[in-house]
Amino acid sequence: MIHFERFKLENGLTVLFHKDITTPMAVVNVLYDVGARDESEDKTGFAHLFEHLMFGGSINIPDFDAPLQHAGGESNAFTSNDITNYYDVLPAHNLETALWLESDRMLSLAFTPKSLEVQRNVVIEEFKQRYLNQPYGDVWLELRPLAYRVHPYKWATIGKEIKHIEDATMEDVKSFFAKHYNPSNAILCVGGNFELEYVKEVVEKWFGEIPSGSKPARVLEAEPEQKEFREKLIERNVPADAFYYAFKMPERKNAGYYMADVLSDALGRDKSSRLYASLKKEQKLVSEIGAYITGSLDNGLLIIGGKLNEGVSFNMFDKALWEVLEKLKNEIMDDTELDRLMIKIRTAREFQEQGLLNRAMNLCQFELLGDANGINEEHEIYYSITPKDVQRMAKEILKPTNCSLLKVKSNQNAES
Amino acid sequence: MLNRKKAPELQNIGNIDFVKPHVYDITEKCHLFFMNEVPNDTSRIDLHFDAGSGLGELGIASFVGGLLFSGTAEKSSIQISNELDALGAFYESNVAHEQAMITVYALKENIVPILRIIKDAVDNVSFHEDEVQEMLNDRKQKFRVNMGKVSFLAQRKFQEKLLSGTPYGRIVEEDVYDNVSISALKRFHKENYLNGLTKVVLVGDLTQDEVDEIIDITGAWATDRKQEFATEFKNETGTHEVLKSDAIQSAIRVGRILFNKTHPDFIDFQVLNTILGDYFGSRLMSNIREDKGYTYGIGSMVAELHYSGYFLIATEVAKEVKDATIQEVKYELEKLKEELVSAEELELVKNYMLGQLLKSADGPYSMIDLYMGLEPYDMEMEFYNRSIDSIKAITPERIRELVVKYLDWNDMTVVVAGS
Repeated sequence: MIHFERFKLENGLTVLFHKDITTPMAVVNVLYDVGARDESEDKTGFAHLFEHLMFGGSINIPDFDAPLQHAGGESNAFTSNDITNYYDVLPAHNLETALWLESDRMLSLAFTPKSLEVQRNVVIEEFKQRYLNQPYGDVWLELRPLAYRVHPYKWATIGKEIKHIEDATMEDVKSFFAKHYNPSNAILCVGGNFELEYVKEVVEKWFGEIPSGSKPARVLEAEPEQKEFREKLIERNVPADAFYYAFKMPERKNAGYYMADVLSDALGRDKSSRLYASLKKEQKLVSEIGAYITGSLDNGLLIIGGKLNEGVSFNMFDKALWEVLEKLKNEIMDDTELDRLMIKIRTAREFQEQGLLNRAMNLCQFELLGDANGINEEHEIYYSITPKDVQRMAKEILKPTNCSLLKVKSNQNAES
Repeated sequence: MLNRKKAPELQNIGNIDFVKPHVYDITEKCHLFFMNEVPNDTSRIDLHFDAGSGLGELGIASFVGGLLFSGTAEKSSIQISNELDALGAFYESNVAHEQAMITVYALKENIVPILRIIKDAVDNVSFHEDEVQEMLNDRKQKFRVNMGKVSFLAQRKFQEKLLSGTPYGRIVEEDVYDNVSISALKRFHKENYLNGLTKVVLVGDLTQDEVDEIIDITGAWATDRKQEFATEFKNETGTHEVLKSDAIQSAIRVGRILFNKTHPDFIDFQVLNTILGDYFGSRLMSNIREDKGYTYGIGSMVAELHYSGYFLIATEVAKEVKDATIQEVKYELEKLKEELVSAEELELVKNYMLGQLLKSADGPYSMIDLYMGLEPYDMEMEFYNRSIDSIKAITPERIRELVVKYLDWNDMTVVVAGS
């Protein structure tokens, strides 16, 4: 059980407090309800570029990191298609330093044209390092627009193309801040060995005077139901042919989300999973294979990905894969298999909950879904899933008309 | 009215309570280190073997490490995976230069049953030809994928030049996956695993009976022989290039042989290393990322070996600015030689390092890792208290002295991989 207290400031900021008496460290986590899905299609990569700029100084503080480091702490952040999350970890007795810094950058940014220019370059190098200069690095840049036609999940968090980042102007950045960065669009979690009264006092002190702003309405076009099998083949300078089958799956708040998660575990989480056992160990068609879900808030994807062994064709593999999928749809799994998946889920959860930072982040994410206490209810949802549920989900989503397939063909052999 | 321009008052970090694990003798020289104050149901066990990649023919250690769960005469590899997964085990085997390790994460009630399965699997590996061939094919494909990454190409060349003349400087080529003798695998397995356990690290709220049982199970593998490590190191200086014609970024490595924590300059050098490249506000990050925008990240580190250690700067930059980046790295080293670090910067780094030390001592898992960082050198937890004193006491002059002594450009091995 993860205990927490919740209170709201007058300006609309939701605050969670998680007490942990065992640690000398404190965590301040700030989740902003904005991600790449909130960008417009001609200006992608913005939420993430913006995250970089949040470290470029705020209205009263020229540099974000130095005061935090001076207090013995450190900070980082990440952006996804759904959210932007900032966190600070520092010795508990210096908690106020983190609150001072986070509140000031929520109040107003003050970065310079130079910092915009530099961070544009940094993000472009990040784009190259992670997506362009690695074998198979551009897979998500190709797969997203294949699987999504309308919904903004069709572009990656890093952006659709480098040009969008190059073109970002000061005006763009300012209006993005004004729209998304205000107390009513944020969730703050403080974790550490404190008393509630103290946390209320210092949070009110630093965040209380920030003008409230209004929570921007999110109006996204829903992705229409996919009715046809989609397939794309790209040739790349990579050593092995690779495949990515992407199946649409239910949104985060739907019970089906959890069933799809368990389904992906059954297919390809571990070395005992069906795809690994059948396609790799028994039939020796692949060198690696796995299945996982994207974990998206709106309708996400269940991905089956891997690489073919030399001499195996995409067609040979495809036939064998669908046989494994059909079996899961036609025959109900036995309890032993489900128990094996559940003990893995429980073990993973226990380890994740060990870390104070993880707990603080997860509390914020569940609060975004509607109630931070979801963190304590989630395992019950998992344990209530039956073999029948998994089968139903398999039937619902593991079908060609719900599938987008990206094939990456090696052109190395052609050269030699 | 709240003054937002003024930072809140800071408090200094007082004492950190460094806790030792309980030590049990499995045999005279093979010990089990146990940390039991875990406030939840999680547990971890590390089995250390004298089976590092510095031993045996090139590749053998890594191949055996990859085959530990590949099946016995009684059980296929899938059966073993099934049994381990049914107990919720997260497990892996790792092979480093100087040792190999099996690590298991699991709920505490499952740790002993899991260990029994692992014992049987490792004891009776049959090295079936199919499994060996599959592992070699997978490794070869991974190797080819890695050879498409400038970071891997640079790291590989750096390892070769840094550790040249020692077993750790041997570099794998693709043909290593083609000529493997099963009897060599079997021999290595028998010598280095079945009679190669050097220590066990255990974390979890376990009972004395469970600890005794773990000692009992692992005892058969324990060895009292003295491990042999490379002793003499000398990096090949100068610039070494690796060509990858289609790369749009270049990977850069700059470094030299240095020392490990038994050396009297080690702690002070850590302060210098932090200033130069080991935190977000470091000289290298501030200049090459935050001012020039050449890279997504650049950092420096000190890595330790049993009888030595090395210093390393690593980054990936736009190919157009690879030379400019090396110039800037040189410039930062020169600057540290010519200008004393300001009192302000030094205080920030001291506070930052003490905060990080506090964090690295937070909780039983972190605490035992701190201890195990000392154990190979027969050092006591007192080392960390001394570190705190040294960090607090270090002066700008001392930093400059270390730069002059250890960070001369002519002593560096420089590697650039890219187009």
